[in-house]
Amino acid sequence: MLVTEVKKMTQAVIETTNLLKEYRGRAAVEHLNLNIGKGEIYGFLGPNGAGKTTTIRMLLGLIKPTSGSIKIFGQDLKRNKLQILRKVGSLVESPSYYGHLSALDNLEAIRRILNVPKSRIAEVLDIVSLTGEEKRPVKGFSLGMKQRLGIAAALLGSPELLILDEPTNGLDPSGIQEIRSLIKRLPVEEGITVLVSSHLLSEIEQMAGTVGIIRSGRMVYQDTIAHLQQQAAGDLRLAVSEPEEALILANRRGCGGTLQEGRITLPRMSDVRVALLIKELVENGHAIYRVEEHRQSLEEFFLQVVEGGQSV
Amino acid sequence: MGIFWRVLSAERLKMSKSFVWLLVIGSPAVAMLIGALANMEEEGQMITWEVLLSVMSLFHAMFFLPVLSGVFAALICRAEHADGGWKQLLALPVTRTSVYLAKYTMIMALLAAVQLLFFAAVLGVGALRGVDVPIPWTMFLASIFGGWLACMPLAALQLAISQSWSSFGAPLALNVTLTMPNMLIANSSTYGPYDPWLQPMLAMSPFGEDRFGAFNLPLESLITVVLGSLILFLAVGLFSFRRKAV
Ligand SMILES: Nc1ncnc2c1ncn2[C@@H]1O[C@H](COP(=O)(O)OP(=O)(O)OP(=O)(O)O)[C@@H](O)[C@H]1O
Ligand SMILES: [Mg+2]
Repeated sequence: MLVTEVKKMTQAVIETTNLLKEYRGRAAVEHLNLNIGKGEIYGFLGPNGAGKTTTIRMLLGLIKPTSGSIKIFGQDLKRNKLQILRKVGSLVESPSYYGHLSALDNLEAIRRILNVPKSRIAEVLDIVSLTGEEKRPVKGFSLGMKQRLGIAAALLGSPELLILDEPTNGLDPSGIQEIRSLIKRLPVEEGITVLVSSHLLSEIEQMAGTVGIIRSGRMVYQDTIAHLQQQAAGDLRLAVSEPEEALILANRRGCGGTLQEGRITLPRMSDVRVALLIKELVENGHAIYRVEEHRQSLEEFFLQVVEGGQSV
Repeated sequence: MGIFWRVLSAERLKMSKSFVWLLVIGSPAVAMLIGALANMEEEGQMITWEVLLSVMSLFHAMFFLPVLSGVFAALICRAEHADGGWKQLLALPVTRTSVYLAKYTMIMALLAAVQLLFFAAVLGVGALRGVDVPIPWTMFLASIFGGWLACMPLAALQLAISQSWSSFGAPLALNVTLTMPNMLIANSSTYGPYDPWLQPMLAMSPFGEDRFGAFNLPLESLITVVLGSLILFLAVGLFSFRRKAV
């Protein structure tokens, strides 16, 4: 336990401590303790107005926290802003571009600031599959192309940390899929850490390893996707010959079940307890027709968390 | 310092290939037209360079220079105000001071291009209309350079406004509104020199004999006022930009 803690601390790419941002006395983000490890794809989830963009703006030094500290690559953001930003690529909310310029010139303007080799432009265009379109003025681009150009711009400086705020906003399903597979490839190919925000779990769950769920400015869940899936694992449903009597028997064993549509619904329990219960039912002469696990979808679970129905 | 030059180079690229060049040649072109058509000959007398310069610079310095200072300031902030422009730019490894000063430098460079073209226009029209007295270089340079210098406080003020207002049109409307009373304020020797919208006109008019109102002012005092207000406006704009929530 101690060993893993230490390991996590040295490898944290983003670490915030008690981050607070208030607007006119109202907290937009509070007590936020983000911990994002190297090489992770971190899904930052929350409904509209939860505080995702506010958090990301603080991480990029665009707004100042009311209190709390931010460490990126183990360095204090306030003191080492330039060194840190040199290794961070970002796309916040909508992509920005000069419409009258081509994609190439848009990237060139950023390249001049970053001072990276010209060849890098062709590389990032290739990564986001915009090769061949780079000479057209950007104002003629579709939303998806602009979004990909924004990601190309974020990748230009070969960042070690990529921060993307709702990169799939406004895209159609195939556009979403494209961006998703693009992001998924990155940590493998370039060894970079990604923080990607969204208000839909379904968008994130296929690419993120870890998720943080934020609600009204507070982190309500932060763990691996695998753990989230376990949490979401649902009830056990039994169809038996005499449901009423079977239920009495089960509840005498402390299962806390209910009867729904003629079936016994039991909350999640361990494999051993399930085995024992079934054995007992059979021994008491019940015929068991079906044993089903009713899995709550992740999305349902997420909604529960977000709506405050569940404390995690 | 390295960051400043890199941002400046990026700003130059962003401004290129846009219609900003039309704005740069606009005022010199109008001045050229005025110079070519104006009736300047008094009976039997040759046109002098002084007369040509005052005729051509009147509209240019009274109207175009102040308006262009505002237009360039608004243009240089426009793409940043649209979508997440400031966020993208300021999340790059840049200091806010270098971004602000690079943008200011771009405005002054565009105004310098306007002044040089205007100078060329005066020389061209002079040749066209057969002015054959020697060119008074000192007076010309003082007028052209002085006009540019006098735009500096106004450009700093307009940049301060444009960076803080996300609207493109509002700072321009304000600017044009405040440019309009120039002719009235020019008569006031008390307020005239302190009006940033009027300073380009005061600085560009040839320092000849018949001066009135705010024109009746030694060059040194004008320079003092210009530099003082430049430092003030630049400092206020920079201070607010550095604290800007993006
Ligand atoms: N400049 C501001 N002034 C006042 N309140 C603000 C400001 N910026 C954000 N807020 C408030 O902070 C809260 C969080 O907003 P934020 O934009 O971070 O949410 P979000 O999670 O990014 O939402 P979305 O999914 O809609 O993008 C909101 O209640 C918002 O009204
Ligand atoms: Mg947001």
